Amino acid sequence: MRALTSIAWVILAMFGIVILFGDFIAPYDHTSQSRTDPSAPPSVIRFYDRDGEFHLRPFIYRQKLADPLSRTYEEDMSTPFPLTAFTPGDPYSFLGIFSAQTHLFGVEARDGAPRVYLLGTDELGRDRFSRLLRGIRFSLIVCPIGALLAWAIGISLGLISGSSGARTDAVLMGVADTMLALPTLVLILAARAAFPLELPPIRAAMLLVLIFAAVGWAETARLTRGLVRSIKQREYILAARAIGLSEARIMLRHILPNAWPTILRQGLVTLPTFLLAEVALSFLGVGLQEPEPSLGTLLAAAADVNQLQRDPLIVLAPGIVITVFVLAIRIVGGPTERKFSS
Amino acid sequence: MLFAVSAITFGLLSAAGGDALSALRENPQVSEETVQRLSAVYGLDKPVTTRYFSWLGGIARGNLGESFLYKAPVLGLLLARLGNTAILSIVGLLIALLIAIPSAYLIVRIRSRLLDGFADVIVSLAASIPRMVAALVALLFLISISGKTFAGDRSPVALLLGGIVLALPVIAVLLAQAKGELVRAVDLAFVQFARSKGLSERAVILRHAFREALNPILTIGGLSIGTMVSGSVVVETILGWPGIGSLLVAAVKGRDVSLVMGIVVATSVVVWLANTLAEILQMINDPRVRSAEANTDL
Repeated sequence: MRALTSIAWVILAMFGIVILFGDFIAPYDHTSQSRTDPSAPPSVIRFYDRDGEFHLRPFIYRQKLADPLSRTYEEDMSTPFPLTAFTPGDPYSFLGIFSAQTHLFGVEARDGAPRVYLLGTDELGRDRFSRLLRGIRFSLIVCPIGALLAWAIGISLGLISGSSGARTDAVLMGVADTMLALPTLVLILAARAAFPLELPPIRAAMLLVLIFAAVGWAETARLTRGLVRSIKQREYILAARAIGLSEARIMLRHILPNAWPTILRQGLVTLPTFLLAEVALSFLGVGLQEPEPSLGTLLAAAADVNQLQRDPLIVLAPGIVITVFVLAIRIVGGPTERKFSS
Repeated sequence: MLFAVSAITFGLLSAAGGDALSALRENPQVSEETVQRLSAVYGLDKPVTTRYFSWLGGIARGNLGESFLYKAPVLGLLLARLGNTAILSIVGLLIALLIAIPSAYLIVRIRSRLLDGFADVIVSLAASIPRMVAALVALLFLISISGKTFAGDRSPVALLLGGIVLALPVIAVLLAQAKGELVRAVDLAFVQFARSKGLSERAVILRHAFREALNPILTIGGLSIGTMVSGSVVVETILGWPGIGSLLVAAVKGRDVSLVMGIVVATSVVVWLANTLAEILQMINDPRVRSAEANTDL
């Protein structure tokens, strides 16, 4: 169990690295197209050339579109193109501060040199791997911000509800229960319908964050309120009150710290809900829009029956990434189930 | 509850300003006069509160308004598709129950750490796979067995696959809950008593422990209807199933306010019905719940 948790942390750290250094790891810009190779299969990375000779430096062959209709490719075995590390390529902004154009790996852009595609290209000839990294970054920045906001609202309303009189409590918890009872995705979609369909990426991201916060606070509020109510019964709170501390001080210094671990865990566990909501919205075409990729828009490409049939694993790669992330979060969040007493 | 939901949604939808006529307004070929006449026809020129109360009054008379998108009464559109979503959800719930409950029974009956661990893995996986991915895999499967001609027809295979996809997250929650409750229940005094009476372990679990564990399972079952409805949005869109979920996506894309509102109201009613049904079943199962209700009334 210990080992599993460590693995999950390592996976989450890797996601963190992708968020920070995604532009550097990706060999190409997420919008850069190569019109000569639409829907190309992944490049085969080789160590042995056609004469069976071993090369220490891995290389690829150029892939040529053999039949444009069925999008089948053939490898041109005449010249090998070696992969290089720290290859100059598309300019990007490193960590959002420095402008850079060195990428972790790639094929040197000489005349007639092919591009390297770890996951092939989409129908517009964009590198799927670069787009996947970019999509991970978008989804994993938007969702935690939305979750954090929802969480903060939930804690505040929970504290208010837990410490105030019966009427405020009833109103707040009534609203929270209503939101909890309704299907989340239906609520989010209804809220989304209020805004224009096509938005620039930054505004779409902000809108998603706001919608998540507006819809997602209820669970945290309920939990916080319950914790506050139960901690209030303890003797040390009575003692604090007896020595004349103010209500606000008791709330922030005595009640909140004791409720904190549970609330913190709750925040972590709800993170996947927001990720899945973002994916669902973008997938359904009402979240982020082309050409900016998110895990949802990337997955939407898989709904294209032809692509899905030709290379299911590659098209479903964003889905696999989501599954791995959610699993890791669940493992780190820890199990709460009862085990056999024996 | 319905009031709160409808008021919030309605307020939000109007606050944002856009409506189904926004597109027309930006179209140079449509005169300002036409837009104004249309807004008068649909009552969009009146203030929000007036519109909300006239909408509410309509609901009381069973009139959910007119859909801009389909040029038809919302109620008719809903009724035409509600059945399809209901079938899909019921199949999903049945699959979830048929898998989760017997598995929980087996795990508690056999008490093997290996089986328990295996179940944990399944639960984690089922809860972590996004419905979209599961639905896409189902779609892939559907195409490969039916050939390229697949065009979103309502075949039994599609129903079964859609049901499985909907059931996955519910299986995870139900199995975890049922297992936890049964593990707790088998050690209770009255269950120990049944065992010491000489009943077979099967009878002990099924007749005594299970009844104790049933109520939380019923609660989860009632709540899972909401999960099912959320899931049906994605599943119906991907598998081309003509239900409420795919209708909602179309309504959101077309910014059809009355249709969105109608669907929100319909789903709240369904979710409320499901939770009430779960409560009634709990009362039938457990006399203590009945008397607790009676006590609070006094």
